[in-house]
Formats: sequence, C-alpha cells, structure tokens
Amino acid sequence: MELQRIDLPQGTVDLLILRTLSAGPQHGWAISERVLQVSSDVLRIQQGSLYPALHRLERRGWIKARWGTSDNNRRAKYYELTRAGEKQLEVETDSWRKLTAAVAQILESV
Amino acid sequence: MLNDLLYRLRALFRRNAVETELNEEIRFHFDKEVEKYRKQGMTDEEARRCARLAFGGHEQVKEDCREARGTGLIETGVQDLRYALRQLWSNPSFAVVIILTLALSIGANSAIFSVISSVLIKSLPYPQPEKIVRVFLTSNVYPKFPLNPFDFRDYRTHSKSFDSLAAFSRGDMQLSGGSAEPVRLHGFRITSGFFRVLGLHPQLGREFDVKAETPGNGLQVILSDRVWRSQFGAAPDIVGRKITLNAEPFTVVGVMPAGVEHPGNEYHSLAYGEDVDLWSPFTFDGDPTRRGAHYIEGIGRLQDGVSVEQSQSELNAIMTQIARDLGQGKSGWQVMVIPLYREVVGSSQRMLLVLLGAVGMVLLIACANAANLLLARAATRQREIAVRLALGASRSRLVRQLLTESLLIALMGGALGLGMAAGGVKGLVSLLPADFPRAHEIHVSAPVFAFTFLVSAATGIFFGLIPAIQASRIDPRRGLHEGGRSSTGTGRLSRLRNALVVSEVSLACVLLIGAGLMLRSLLNLVHLDPGFREEHVLTASVSLPGAEYKTEGSVGRFYDTLTTNLASIPGVEATGAGSDLPWTGYDENISLNIEGKQAPPHDEFHARYHVATLDYFRALGIPLLRGRFFTAGDKPDAPRVVIINHAMAQKYWPGEDVVGKRVTWEDQPKEKDWFTVVGVVGDVKDKPNSPDAEPAFWWADLQPLFPLLDMSIVVRSTSDQQSLADAVRNEVRRLDPALAVADVEWMDVIVYGSVATPRFAFVLVGLFAGLAILLAAIGTYGVISYSVSQRTPEFGLRMALGAQRLDVINLVLVQAAKLVLTGTVLGLLLALTLARVLKSLIYDVSPADPLTFGSVGLMVIAIAVLACYIPARKATKADPMIALRAE
Repeated sequence: MELQRIDLPQGTVDLLILRTLSAGPQHGWAISERVLQVSSDVLRIQQGSLYPALHRLERRGWIKARWGTSDNNRRAKYYELTRAGEKQLEVETDSWRKLTAAVAQILESV
Repeated sequence: MLNDLLYRLRALFRRNAVETELNEEIRFHFDKEVEKYRKQGMTDEEARRCARLAFGGHEQVKEDCREARGTGLIETGVQDLRYALRQLWSNPSFAVVIILTLALSIGANSAIFSVISSVLIKSLPYPQPEKIVRVFLTSNVYPKFPLNPFDFRDYRTHSKSFDSLAAFSRGDMQLSGGSAEPVRLHGFRITSGFFRVLGLHPQLGREFDVKAETPGNGLQVILSDRVWRSQFGAAPDIVGRKITLNAEPFTVVGVMPAGVEHPGNEYHSLAYGEDVDLWSPFTFDGDPTRRGAHYIEGIGRLQDGVSVEQSQSELNAIMTQIARDLGQGKSGWQVMVIPLYREVVGSSQRMLLVLLGAVGMVLLIACANAANLLLARAATRQREIAVRLALGASRSRLVRQLLTESLLIALMGGALGLGMAAGGVKGLVSLLPADFPRAHEIHVSAPVFAFTFLVSAATGIFFGLIPAIQASRIDPRRGLHEGGRSSTGTGRLSRLRNALVVSEVSLACVLLIGAGLMLRSLLNLVHLDPGFREEHVLTASVSLPGAEYKTEGSVGRFYDTLTTNLASIPGVEATGAGSDLPWTGYDENISLNIEGKQAPPHDEFHARYHVATLDYFRALGIPLLRGRFFTAGDKPDAPRVVIINHAMAQKYWPGEDVVGKRVTWEDQPKEKDWFTVVGVVGDVKDKPNSPDAEPAFWWADLQPLFPLLDMSIVVRSTSDQQSLADAVRNEVRRLDPALAVADVEWMDVIVYGSVATPRFAFVLVGLFAGLAILLAAIGTYGVISYSVSQRTPEFGLRMALGAQRLDVINLVLVQAAKLVLTGTVLGLLLALTLARVLKSLIYDVSPADPLTFGSVGLMVIAIAVLACYIPARKATKADPMIALRAE
C-alpha cells in the first residue's frame, strides 16, 4: 500500500513531539510510531529530524530526558514534558489553530 | 536561558558522555525499527536493510544532533584546530618559513607600535595634560622665539584665559658645602605657579609664591626627589634648611615627588623628561621698560572652556596694549600658543608615523608571501579538498577550516613576534637620539599585546581568506578526476599568485626608495660643512657663582687665566671659552640699534648674543672671513668691539664692508656705548639641518654688556687623549676649588649625536627595506619555481625537440621579468606619490631623486632575476624521458 506522506517543517515537528509527550513520557522511537499511528500513517517524522529536534527542545528546557527501561528491558532514553514545555505546547497549539483557520479561510474564499 | 547554558556546557565538557548517550539512543531506535519490520514478517537481513534505508545516515543524524546542541561551532573549531596543527606538523619546513617571516614582520610592527603607544598615544604624565600649553613669540623670521620676562609678567597680570601661567629658564647651579666635591646640578629657574600649571604638588613643603620673584628674595630652592635622597639622605627636616648653591645660602622650601617630568622641548632647555635636580625662583631683575632680551619660556594651564585660539588672541591683544603703553609701534611679532603635547612630540610624530607606514608595508608583503605559500599548497591539496567536498563537507565549513589554519599560523607568528618585539624595543630605544621625547617611557605594554593580537588575527584572515575561498571553489568532480595533477583550472590561481608577487615587488620598491632617500639625506648631513672643525676638540662647562664673581672684571679674569693655563698643557693647540657651543640649543637673543640704520617699522634689529675669549674661534675652528679675532688689547677700558657672523653681516649690512660699522644696546647712546664690528666669522647653524644660520654676534669676554657666569670651555689638542679631561678639571680646581666641571664631552661626539635622528630613521627604514626585498625575493622565487615544476613536461618536450638550455632559461626568465618589471614600475610610481611625506624628514634630497629611483629600480630587478635563476636552471635539468612518461 502506497501512502501519501507529507514532509514536515521543523516547527511542526516540535509541535507534534510536544503534543505526543503531553500524554506521558516516551522514548524517541515510540514518539515517531505514535505520530504515524495517530495520523493514520500520513505523518512520518524522519529520524534525521526527530533526534536533532529532541536535542533542541531539551536545550530549550521544554522537555527533559532521563534514562529508563523499555518494555523489553533495554535501557532507553525517555523524554517528558516540563512545565515550560506545557506552556509552549499551549502557545504553539493556539498559533497552529489560528494559522490553519486562516489558511482554510483563504483557501475557501476563492 | 540558564537551562540553555547548562545544557550547552554539559554538551561541551562532558562531550564523551553525551556522545555515548546519543549512540545508545540511536542504536535503540534502530533496533526497535528492525524489530518492527521483523514483526511484519521480514527476514532479519531484510528488516535491517529496510531500517537502514528508513533511518538515513547515522553520522548525518549525529552531526545534526550535535548542531542542535548548540556547541557545533566550538566543537568543529577544536577539530579544525587539531587538523591545522597536524597539517603544520606534517610539513614543518613550510610551517617554519611562513611562521618566521610573519613573526619578523609582526614583531617589527609591535616594536614600532610600542614606541608609538608610549610616545604618541599615552597621555603626558600630568593631570588633564590637554589643558597645558606652551607660549612663544613668532615672526616671519623666527618661528619660535622665547619671551621677555616683563612681557610675560604683563601677560600673567592681564590674561584671564589661564588657570595659571608660568615661565621657566635653564639655571644650573653648583652645590657645595660639607666635605663632598662640588657638583653641578641641572636646574630651572621658574616663576610661581609653575607646578600649578603642571598639576604637580611637592611631597614636602610648598611651591614658590609670587614674593619669591622679587629681586633679593630669590634664595629659595625646591629639590627633586633624587637630589633629596642622594645628597641629603632623604632628611625629613630638609624644608627650612639652608644649603649652599653657587656659594650662596638657599633655603629649601620644598621637595618634589619622584618621577616629575620636565615639560621640555628641543628648544634651549633640557629635553622632555630629562632629570631636573632643582628649581629656583625666577626673579624679575632689571629695568621693566627695556624689553629687548628674550630668554624665558612660557607655559600655562588653560581655564575650563577656553580654547587654545582664544587664549592666543587674548595674549596678542595684551601684547598690542603693552606696546601702546610703552609708546612703541606695531611690531612683526605675534604670540603663539601651542598645546604642550604638540611641542613635546611634534617633531617626532611624522617620523614615527612614517616608520609605522614602513613596517605596515613589510607586513603586507609578508601577508602576500604567506598567501602565496598557502595558494601553492592549496594547489597540491586540491584532491584532498575535492574528496571532502564529495563526502558532503559544506563549503563554508571548508573555508572555516582553512581559515583556522591561517589564523593559527598568524597567531603563532604573532606570539613569536611579540617575543622579538620585546627584545627589539630595547635595541630601538638604544638607537634613539638622546633628545627623543619620552624615550625612557617606551616598553612593551598591555596596548602592545592587544595590538599584536589584533594585527596577527587580521593578518591571518587577510592572507588566509583568498586561498580559502579559492580552495572551496574547487569542483569536486574535476578535482577527483584529475587526481590532483592540476594543470588546468589553475589559470585563475596563477594569475592571483602573479598579482601577489607584483604587489610584493612594488611594495619592496617603495621601502627601498624610502631607505635610499634617507641614506642620501644622512650622507648629506654627515658631509655637511658644520662651520667648525670638531676633531680633537674637548668641551666642558663651568658655572661661576655670582656671589663671588660680582664684577665683569672678575669673571673675565677667571676665564682668561683658565684659558691661558690650559693653553700651556703639552699638545694643546688652542683653547677658549664662550657663552655656548654649537648645536647645543643655545637661543638667547637681544635687540640692538645699528648706527645709521632705522629698523623697519614693524620689526626690530635682533641677533643672538654670545661671549667669547680670544681663542674661542680658533679652538673651535670657526673661520675668520674678514677683519680680526679678539686680541689681548680688547680690554675693559679699550674701545668696545664685537665680532659678528656672516649671516648678521648679510642681514643688516648687505653688500657693505661691515668692518668698522658700529652697533649699540642703548637707545640714547653716548660715545662709549658704541661697539665696533672688528671681524666677521663663518656661520654655524643651530642644528646641522637648519636651513640657515641665525644672525649672531660675540662680545669680548672682558667687554660684555652684562657678565655671563656660565661658560663653555673649548680645548683643541693634537689628539683625543683622555688625560686632557683630567687636566681641565685640575686647572679649574687649581683656580677655584669650589667649582665643578660639568658636561665634559668631545666635540666629535656631539657632532655624531646631532645626526642621531636621521641615522635612526635610516637604520630602521633600511632594515625594513632589507626585510621587504628578501620577502619579495622569496615570493618571486616561490612562484617561479612552482610554475617551473608545473611546466616540467613542457620543458622536457621542448628539449626533446631540440631546444637548448639557454632557450629554456630564457623562457623562465622572460616569464619572471614580466612580473618583476611590472612590480618595479608600479613600485616606482607608488614611491613617487608617497615620497612626498618624507619631505620634512630628508635633507637636501628631492623626494623624486632620480639617482635613488634609478638605482633602486635596477637593484630590485637584479635581485628578483637572481631569485629566478635557480628555478630557471632547474628547468633545464628536466629529463625529456621522465617528463614525457609522466604525461
């Protein structure tokens, strides 16, 4: 089955990561899997952009990392949302909604 | 913000831990991916392949993560640095040549900058030094003239521009008393407020007050810290004590702190910063209506908000008023106020800036050389760079890496250069003329460190940027394809290298011409007829205490006896005494009246006054042009006579026979007030490079207008034996045991010292020019030998086809000559425009001197052709077989 996948701009990747983590701590692979699942296999975060994004978000203090054990007993790096990250998620969700609404409005008006 | 910083710091300093974590994280992700594919039913191998495809390059992801951590720049910087060090290490001869040439030229720049920083940039050691000004008179004839004491006093009374206005005049004194030998001390006579002008305060006691200036009150003295310690054991109760100076009791009123700099100049006084031992009050003796004598120097501190121009016009207004009050007309004189800074450093400023320009050019040449070497190496590194580009290195990253390398080279050169500068500055200072301002303040200081660092960094970027950009432009496909044998695509490269060589040669030309002009000027000065003969002439000075030598007769008798006694020493040919010696900055002037002549309405007759004994002129070797020298008959009661110099005869009696003419210093002269000109002597200029001699005359030592207590002794002997100095000391002591003999010096040493400044300038510019032409020769050699190595197959082919060795040498030399000739012509043209700034520094040489330009042009061409001859000969060794096989 051939799926149509969309290339994600950086800001969107950040938003998706933050949203996914708001459900609870996850490791990198699980984040990408979850995004894929929830978007019905449309949105795939390339690994090449996932990890740099995670490091960037960590540097900004929106998420923090700690080492835990995965379901099959391997050491894995889990990321979770910080308080600053929750706020950032709200801000970004809000601006994303505004953006999509505005774009939709323009698309429909013509 | 804080989080960000901590994160970056951890990433930077716990780099290994962070890297391991990243590896583990990515490994985990990869394994999960493989597991997922396997669950979908793939074989192990298939699953791995799919996961790898999905993942992309591990290294790329890691690199992006590193960037995201925000430490990329530093980390790659460290990598680049390591890489650069390895590169240098792998090619040590390249590294040594390039670092050494840079170190030499950066070091030279730092050394000159230390001089400039200490002399020109550092402010003078007084509070608010920019408010201190010097006050002179000026006219069309005399650019800078000292003041008359009574004029000065009127300025001080009426002027409102100054916080404080003071004057000073040289007044050495002889300290005696106690058991010690009498010593001659450097002193100044100062008006009250002198130290207030400078903003300095005594560490003990006080400054002179105005009362000290009244005649009779002058027996007070302020000591320097040095004299207080060396002569009085730093006695804490020194203030109030009486000490014997010039055989009179002086009361010590104060002691200045250590490090008081005399605000001197090149003008009739100690140079700036020389040691002053004591200060005594200047007293306003004499008739205040007679204002012909000019010998004190004005100095003032401006009020807040008053400009130099405002104070000058105020003083000029006061001067006009004084003249009106004294019933005189308008004179040709003006008051001139100039900032102290300009007076102190003014004469050295241009020379220092020229030197800075010269070392700057040396640095430019070194940069061109370094760029050339890097370009040559870049050509051999094309393959390496092409590989890196093909593997995905970004061009900006490559430029950064190559720049790191050149910066590293430049900074290493700079560090080495700073070491050289520290040594060089000591040499420089020892080469400096004795009267060079602030010489003792020169050392390698913090600003010099900063300067060296900045210059090195700028140098590194400057010579590294072009090769770096050039290298990053390489097309990876072509670079790989050609396998590093770069015979094509280097046209632009070789054009660039040629341009660099041309500019090196032309800059070296400019420096050589500068050095050539300075050499010619120096030779002119050395071969200049000084107006006297300096060989085998010993000079010394003696100061008679006025308290004991009260009459003109007693002063004259002393010097007459002394010279007669000295003349009887075996080997002595002639001996004399006079008010001063040539080239020592003597500048005491007086106005006079000339029989039968009326001074022009806006000027007075002026001349420099001197006193001389019978044989003074013979001892110095100053020739008699007309009339006679003084004779034993010119006694106090005999008709009074003067001897004038040629310049005075020309100025006041042009075309007349001057012997027998009469002059006087009285306004209503009686018969006995007239002085008859009995002789004309040759001119001696103020300084060897002064344009003209000043009008001057000599009174006979037994007939002076007023007694001159300080005299210089001149002894001409048949040889330079050191015992002569002792003989002079003994004779003086025999006559008066309380007298000190000072400033014992051979006249040829004074003459040698008088050209110290031009010699200093020539030695330095010559050194820089030598370095420049050496660098330019290396540069030319480098380019030509590189091009020969590139053209070896061609030469081989030519020789295989029957070309002779000479033909091949010609080929190479023609190529070299094109570069060198272009460089030389450009250099000569550039020098023609630039040499004008040297005009005030060179003596009797045109800045466009054809001899200098011609010989420098030929010399540069000869040196450059010589530099190309070695590679040219190598070209003829090209073995046709090897060359052809290599194709």
